[in-house]
Amino acid sequence: MPSHPLRVAVVCSSNQNRSMEAHNILSKRGFDVRSFGTGSHVKLPGPAPDKPNVYDFKTTYEQMYNDLVRKDKELYTQNGILHMLDRNKRIKSKPERFQSCKEKFDLVITYLNSREQETLQPVHVINVDIQDNHEEATLGAFLICELCQCIQHTDDMENEIDELLQEFEDKSNRPFLHTVCFY
Amino acid sequence: MDFSEQGETEIPQVIDMTTSEKVVELLNQAALTSTDEKLIMLKQVQELIINKDPSLLDNFLDEMIAFQADKSVEVRKFVIGFIEEACKSDNELLLRLVANLNMLLKDESVNVVKKAILTFTQLYKATLQWLVRSKAVSDMQDACWELVTQMKRDVLALLDSENDGVRTHAIKFTESLIITLSPRTSDSDVPKRQEGDISLDKVPRDHCYIRYDVLCEEGKTALEKLLKFMVHPAISSINLTTALGSLATIARQRPMFMSEVVQAYETLHANLPPTLAKSQVSSVRKNLKLHLVAVLKHPCSLEFQGQISTLLLDLGMPQSEITRSTPAPREQRKRPRHDQYAEGKKVKMEPALIEDDEDKEEPAPLSVPKPAAVPVVQSAIDLTAEFLRPLLTSENVANLVLISMVYLPDIMPASFQATYTPVESAGTDAQIKHLARLMATQMTSAGIGPGLEQCKAREDDAGKEEGNEDDSGAKDLLIKRKVPAVMVGQAISVVGGYSDKAPITEAEGRATVKRLPEPILPTAQAKMAGASGRKKVFRLADVVQPLSDSQMEKLTSRAVRRILHSEKAIAQSGMSHVRVKLLSRLVTQFEGMMKEDVLDFILEDIRTRSDLAFSLLFQEYNTYLSQLPAGLLDSYDHCLYTLLSGLQEKPEQRDGLFTKLVLEAPIITESALEVIRRYCEDESRVYLGMTTLKELIVKRPSRQFQYLHVLLDLSSHEKEKVRTTALAFLKRMYEKDQLRDYIEKFALNYMQLLVHPNPPSLLFGADKDTEVAAPWTEETVRQCLFLYLSLLPLNHRLVHELASVYTEAIADIKRSVLRAIEQPIRGMGMNSPELLLLVENCPKGAETLVTRCLHILTDKVPPSPELVERVRDLYHKRVPDVRFLIPVINGLEKNEVILALPKLIKLNPIVVKEVFNRLLGTQHSEGSSSVSPLTPGDLLIALHNIDSTKCDMKSIIKATNLCFGEKNVYTSEVLAVVMQQLMEQSPLPMLLMRTVIQSLTMYPRLGGFVMNILSRLITKQVWKYPKVWEGFVKCCQRTKPQSYSVLLQLPPAQLASVFDRCPEMREPLLLHVHSFTPHQQAHIPASIMAVLETNNKTEPKPVQPIVEREIEPVVAPAASVPKETPTVAVKEPVQQEPTATQDEEPMEQEESNPVIQEESLSSVSQVELAGISETPSSQPEPAEEPMETSQLEPSDIQEPEPSDIQEPEPSDIQEPEPSDLQEPEPSDLQEPEPSDLQEPEPSDLQEPEKDVDAEVAGPEAGSGSEDIE
Repeated sequence: MPSHPLRVAVVCSSNQNRSMEAHNILSKRGFDVRSFGTGSHVKLPGPAPDKPNVYDFKTTYEQMYNDLVRKDKELYTQNGILHMLDRNKRIKSKPERFQSCKEKFDLVITYLNSREQETLQPVHVINVDIQDNHEEATLGAFLICELCQCIQHTDDMENEIDELLQEFEDKSNRPFLHTVCFY
Repeated sequence: MDFSEQGETEIPQVIDMTTSEKVVELLNQAALTSTDEKLIMLKQVQELIINKDPSLLDNFLDEMIAFQADKSVEVRKFVIGFIEEACKSDNELLLRLVANLNMLLKDESVNVVKKAILTFTQLYKATLQWLVRSKAVSDMQDACWELVTQMKRDVLALLDSENDGVRTHAIKFTESLIITLSPRTSDSDVPKRQEGDISLDKVPRDHCYIRYDVLCEEGKTALEKLLKFMVHPAISSINLTTALGSLATIARQRPMFMSEVVQAYETLHANLPPTLAKSQVSSVRKNLKLHLVAVLKHPCSLEFQGQISTLLLDLGMPQSEITRSTPAPREQRKRPRHDQYAEGKKVKMEPALIEDDEDKEEPAPLSVPKPAAVPVVQSAIDLTAEFLRPLLTSENVANLVLISMVYLPDIMPASFQATYTPVESAGTDAQIKHLARLMATQMTSAGIGPGLEQCKAREDDAGKEEGNEDDSGAKDLLIKRKVPAVMVGQAISVVGGYSDKAPITEAEGRATVKRLPEPILPTAQAKMAGASGRKKVFRLADVVQPLSDSQMEKLTSRAVRRILHSEKAIAQSGMSHVRVKLLSRLVTQFEGMMKEDVLDFILEDIRTRSDLAFSLLFQEYNTYLSQLPAGLLDSYDHCLYTLLSGLQEKPEQRDGLFTKLVLEAPIITESALEVIRRYCEDESRVYLGMTTLKELIVKRPSRQFQYLHVLLDLSSHEKEKVRTTALAFLKRMYEKDQLRDYIEKFALNYMQLLVHPNPPSLLFGADKDTEVAAPWTEETVRQCLFLYLSLLPLNHRLVHELASVYTEAIADIKRSVLRAIEQPIRGMGMNSPELLLLVENCPKGAETLVTRCLHILTDKVPPSPELVERVRDLYHKRVPDVRFLIPVINGLEKNEVILALPKLIKLNPIVVKEVFNRLLGTQHSEGSSSVSPLTPGDLLIALHNIDSTKCDMKSIIKATNLCFGEKNVYTSEVLAVVMQQLMEQSPLPMLLMRTVIQSLTMYPRLGGFVMNILSRLITKQVWKYPKVWEGFVKCCQRTKPQSYSVLLQLPPAQLASVFDRCPEMREPLLLHVHSFTPHQQAHIPASIMAVLETNNKTEPKPVQPIVEREIEPVVAPAASVPKETPTVAVKEPVQQEPTATQDEEPMEQEESNPVIQEESLSSVSQVELAGISETPSSQPEPAEEPMETSQLEPSDIQEPEPSDIQEPEPSDIQEPEPSDLQEPEPSDLQEPEPSDLQEPEPSDLQEPEKDVDAEVAGPEAGSGSEDIE
């Protein structure tokens, strides 16, 4: 087992639903976790599919929440967006962009643009295919959490992660894309 | 205080001091704290000595580096980081620290190794840079470089590590190495951060030990290695991903290698490792796409755009995106000196339209080979592709497809499934060209094809042209072409089967076409490729030599010993279980000393080494099992025996390890059982030992009797604690049905030994054979009985077995048995049906046993009616021995007791005493519960009424004496009632007067009552019963002067008879009469007076003086007389010489005396009696009398102190009184044994002892003697 807790980054596009759900669960289970979005903007569903609410990464969850309450409280309560934002603001104040993060992780879950490498320290990147809705996000968060726990308990993470992922793939019936990047 | 003196220099010094001190303090603390704190402190130190005050770095370097031996992985990793920082901060330190890094590179923890690789990647560059810059030459630098070079080789070798993570790091190192050891060119895409990094172009060519050309060569070798690595068929997806990324980096930073990179991508794309899972295939493909785009974006990719975009299309990238990523072609390609690198790739200038996969060979339309633009140098693939293109006619292709069809796998491989896209442009010229190229790639990888051949020839030429200014470029070319050749075998798995024929290629060059349609063996790819792969086949036999036997033995035992003694080190690493397993396997496989060594080692501290002990034991057993039909248990036995003995001999052992070992041992061997037995015999551990044994018995049913036997043996052990514990366990086990029979049989067998005349040697243990002839002793007898007797209360039926053994045993044994059975019989209780049955049946010869049982049963509690009934039956119907009745006497009817009395009182005095105790209830403490059938009065009366023909008078007298001895029971009231009743009988009982006298002696205040009795006896003409009459006279004599009035009531004849017997009575009586008033005197008949005055004629005178004389003493002693009289009498018995025979003679004489004048006597007596009773104490006369008379008294006087006589002093019993001559005889017959007297328990003494001896004759003998009397 690695002597330090696994440093995990969970990433989705808007740092709202999937990554936050996983962030929520992983932090409750004692992981050193941060969550990020990779998109250029934070997008939330709007009154119609072609009219999303778009914010930039500087907007806090609180502000988005208030904005949506003002716009159509009933709609956003019904589709769970307000609930989600409410949870998110209790985890951290605002979404973060992965591209602007300088920290190093052992494990990044999602898709990642490679940064300029320097120390060549590897980081394992796992992409889990999760649809962006509440149910899937919850299921996915548990799956990720379980995966992290298993990885945390390996003697030699790098040596065993391959097999572990295969097992998880069989078990969860979802493809896991796994790659390695270097800091 | 120093301020004024130190001045300006003070401040820096203070800082120095404090920093240095702080560092010292931190280091000291760090050495002692936990890992986490240690890391924090060490980081502080690092900050202080590297960044804050680098001058300290040198001072504390050693201290910091010392932590590289720390237990914690994190700390060691930190040290590596520190080395990196330190070396970067001060390059000189490389000289010292590289060696440390080298050590850490070989650390046992992979995480440390990985970190070391990362650091070495940085330091390699740093070292090179530093050495290149420093002009000064030193040996140390030289040596340092040598070491770094060595380390570089080591890390490259780690590409073959077993650990995936280590390989990943090694790949990254290789990437960095390749970049460093190749020149940076103008078209190199250098990341900002690495702009200052060293590269080959900065290495001077005239350096004394760093040689440009060597480095250049090393760089190329590294690339070769990487490429080789990448095509390994079993490469993991992560390694592959990493390698792909590395190649992309290399291609972008060193465009000179772009050709190799693109070619490697092509090869990979066509031959994805078969071991990858589906999702891994998609991961790899995603990565490949990513990296291809990155390469494509590089300006130098221009030449390869065709190949790259074909690959990208295959990977599913839309053409539009490919175009977007393609850099604008530059007008003028810069052609510096390295242009040759790219020249060979000009062939593929046009964008490929084909999206084919090489596995799907489509029949291609015949097309005219389009001559490629003549390149300066063509690669082998280009050449082969060009060669193939005209050959790909429809017919040929169709044939190829048909032939290869046979070899397609049943299941579509994941890689194929993932990569397959329908061929859209089949048959077009472009597609044929693509196909040809794909095939050429495969063939070149497999080492065949004309292209390869031509390249070889050209290489040779190039070799000759060495010395050219562009030699590095030429070399690159050479390397590039070598690569595919080296990759033979695994690179092109499609034709892998032919890889071993590569050497023939040259000869077959032209025939390649014919070889093409060879079978594809995807399933066998990995194996075959691997087998003939890059690794040279290693055969052990080639490199080793056989050792001599002794050498081998020595080596093996040393090896085992090393493992044995590395206990702590291994425990720290958490691998103890492996060590244990290893040891036990090794030791069981080899014979010899090591087995002993290991056992000794275990026993040194068995508590902590128990796991090894168990493992060893199980392994031994396993070995035995594996050789089963012929296998011997010896080795296992020895192991178990040694372990158990070791435990048994250890003084302190409380944790139950012994038990655990015994219970977990697969088999308990004989010798092991012996150790268990010894363990049980240890008094301090007997309980644990027997618990273990019990567990064995219960849990190993197949051999339970074997174990049970040990426990049974212990039940007669000489040590009491062992014995009692064993018995306790056995009792519990006796309740289990399956064990009951065995235990019972054993107990009975053991008891059966008692019938032998001498104790069998069995009882003494095997080693005491010499004493076989020894007689039975109490000890040995008990030994045979312990188990039986403890079972008896649990199973009453066993009692009959005892009876049968008893009848056969010799007297000594019988005695011991009788003594031993008390507890168990009492435990059974008198209600036990079996016991009653025994009483009922009473086997011949077991009478004493039965009697003993009866005694035991009734010792404390009254007999139950059932028991009484059985005994009565036995007595009446079978064995008329009165002694049976004694224990149950209180349960009998009154008349039964009376009937038995004559027989009872003739028994041994002690027995008689016991009978009386029972009857009188004086025996039991809780006596009230037993109600005697006879009241004490009844008993005494019954004694008086015993027919003298049935019993001699002596016994009766003795019996009555026993009664009088119980003063508490025979109170004056009881005696009065008895006397009253006896007196009313007719005829009068012979002993009546004796009893009267005795009662009077005991209770003087009965005087009045006795006078009354005497008077009434006169009315019953007491003189007609000579014995009674005698007693009567004696009584009157004693009770003077009270008796005077009684005497005066006697008829004259009888009065005369009295005076005949006691002449001295006459005168006092006469005086008494004279003292009467005249009126009173008138009432005395003349005849009486005549008798009174018979002898008075001769002495008429002395009347007066006599009166006077009489009166005087009366006054004086009057007060004291009543008190003294009895006490004197009590003290008398010592003087009782006169025997009964003396008494009898006069009595008989009296019988003849006639009796007259009843009427007058009676009237007088009434008056007199009244007077006497009024003032019994005022009578002065008798004062002196008792003293005189008492001396003449017969044996009667002994009674007042019965307790003395009845004390069971041996002397009393053994020396019969002269008067008792007849009595002792029967009893002597019955108890000739002096040993009886020595018996400890009085209760035992009474009956059984005596009877044991008389046993043979039985009670019949006793009754016989009785009859004789």
